[in-house]
Amino acid sequence: MYAVETLNLSKRYGKTDALRGLNFTVNEGEIMVILGPNGSGKTTLLMILCTILKPTSGTARVVGIDVVEEGTKVREVMGIAFQEARGFWRHKPSSILKFHASMFDIDPAKRQDLIERTMKDLELWESRDKMFMHLSGGQAKRLETAKVLIQQPKLAIFDEPTSQVDLRGKRKIWDKIRELRDQGSTIIVATNEVREAEYLADRVTILHQGQRVVCDTIPKLKDAIAGGDIVEVDFEDPVSGKLVDDLNGLGGDVSLLSDGNQLRAKVSRAEDWVPKMTSASYVAGAKIASIRITEPSLDDVFLHFTGKALADQP
Amino acid sequence: MSQLSRLVHIARTDFSYFFRTKWLMAVLISLSLSDMLVVGLVYGRLIPTKFAGLTYFQFLVPGIVVVGLFSAATDTGRRIWLALREGVVQYYLTLPIRTGGLVGAYIISGGLGGIVYSGALLVIAYVALSFLGPTAIPVQGILYALVLIPFLFVLATGIAGLAAFFASVSRRGEMYWVYAQALQVSMVTISTVFYPAQTIARYLPAPIATIAEYNPLSLAAGILRDSAFAGNPLDTSALTNLLATSLPLAALGAFAYWIILRTIRLKGKP
Repeated sequence: MYAVETLNLSKRYGKTDALRGLNFTVNEGEIMVILGPNGSGKTTLLMILCTILKPTSGTARVVGIDVVEEGTKVREVMGIAFQEARGFWRHKPSSILKFHASMFDIDPAKRQDLIERTMKDLELWESRDKMFMHLSGGQAKRLETAKVLIQQPKLAIFDEPTSQVDLRGKRKIWDKIRELRDQGSTIIVATNEVREAEYLADRVTILHQGQRVVCDTIPKLKDAIAGGDIVEVDFEDPVSGKLVDDLNGLGGDVSLLSDGNQLRAKVSRAEDWVPKMTSASYVAGAKIASIRITEPSLDDVFLHFTGKALADQP
Repeated sequence: MSQLSRLVHIARTDFSYFFRTKWLMAVLISLSLSDMLVVGLVYGRLIPTKFAGLTYFQFLVPGIVVVGLFSAATDTGRRIWLALREGVVQYYLTLPIRTGGLVGAYIISGGLGGIVYSGALLVIAYVALSFLGPTAIPVQGILYALVLIPFLFVLATGIAGLAAFFASVSRRGEMYWVYAQALQVSMVTISTVFYPAQTIARYLPAPIATIAEYNPLSLAAGILRDSAFAGNPLDTSALTNLLATSLPLAALGAFAYWIILRTIRLKGKP
């Protein structure tokens, strides 16, 4: 059984199709990162999974429970950290967390310790006496994450969990999300931040215009780009034309740079190509000074599969 | 945790907001107190006439208590409006409680707000009457006031329901206050909250006098006057009428709020 499964899931707002027949699955115990620009349907998908929104057509199941037919049961097993933090404006963070914990039947004996530990982990403890409306954007986002962490749901959803959070805070949140996965939760993270996806994802689903473009592990997605890996090789002496021809024969696109000592190769899998290249160079008597390998970024992956750069999207 | 426990928990959390907006409480209570103490006591001495056996203060105070209940219960609408616009409702929609439970929690919280506020006014009125009033409060009047609490609670849920309805249809915050004030003006004006039924019958057309008679605010003020202040036994038909006129209001508000939650589920926004 999948932790999440959608079948032909569609959502229409007026004349706009936010999701178009989406088929999407998440395995139990993995971190699935949904990567897509604003307007790609990420948030709509998450809102349907957490039962805030009803789909226009199609089905969605969370741990086998239909989100439309049995919404209350779905809400018992899932937790969501919203993109925009939502809290009671005149409550303090600890009372917001206490309320959340009690709504999800967190053991009262352990509740206080859990809340205190989570607040300290997320550097919210110093702000414990502030009202929610006085928290900074980053603090409010961390509180949003804290809600899900203390809940430890079967399915945890994070919608752009580190937007407005500083670099140090980002790393903390990412580590806590991974920890949650290690404790047994299935996790969905929606983001348009490549670094976040790279750090967290067991698998990545790319959404574009309400449809799933591709879904796989990051290495496989990168490998799927023909000529995605760039290998730059410095030789001690100028390279012969014959060696260039030989290396071109190994696959990929090899070009000699202007100084004659340096080659640049665009290959699909650098880890396969480099050993072959070193052997061919050794046979040709060419001494290698250094090798640099650059993998394609997820931005490149997005560009490859959608024809558009992630950063250029509206 | 059962659905009922969750409902109570949400109602309690929302009700706690009533005490967190201290400035609003201060404004409300200062207006009510000045009405009660200045107007009631001063005018009470200027106007020696008794209305149905009650001094002017005894006549006026139940009206102020009922209007206080009205103001406190309509605060539910303000909270609903804020919750809808600030996204707290979306958070509520992710909690393991049915939509009906969520609606019920808000209406109950509104009822509690109304009863706590009007109860406080009633206590102040009793204290004021005991020390300053021309006549003492009969002991049985206090007992009747305690018995009246559940009925006043139902009235407050009805008004909270109306407030929920207006909050649901208000696109802008100031529009909610316009609707709430219009409701207050019409319900208090066409009522016997501040003047006797005979006065209305004398100056206004018969249908309006009938509406004023069956206005739940009139019924509540009348019962408070007769029993809580004059010490007469509770009139069961008046209590029945109060329930019969309050419950439909609560149902209307609950339905409107339920519709708005359903709209959020379909369109993503209210």
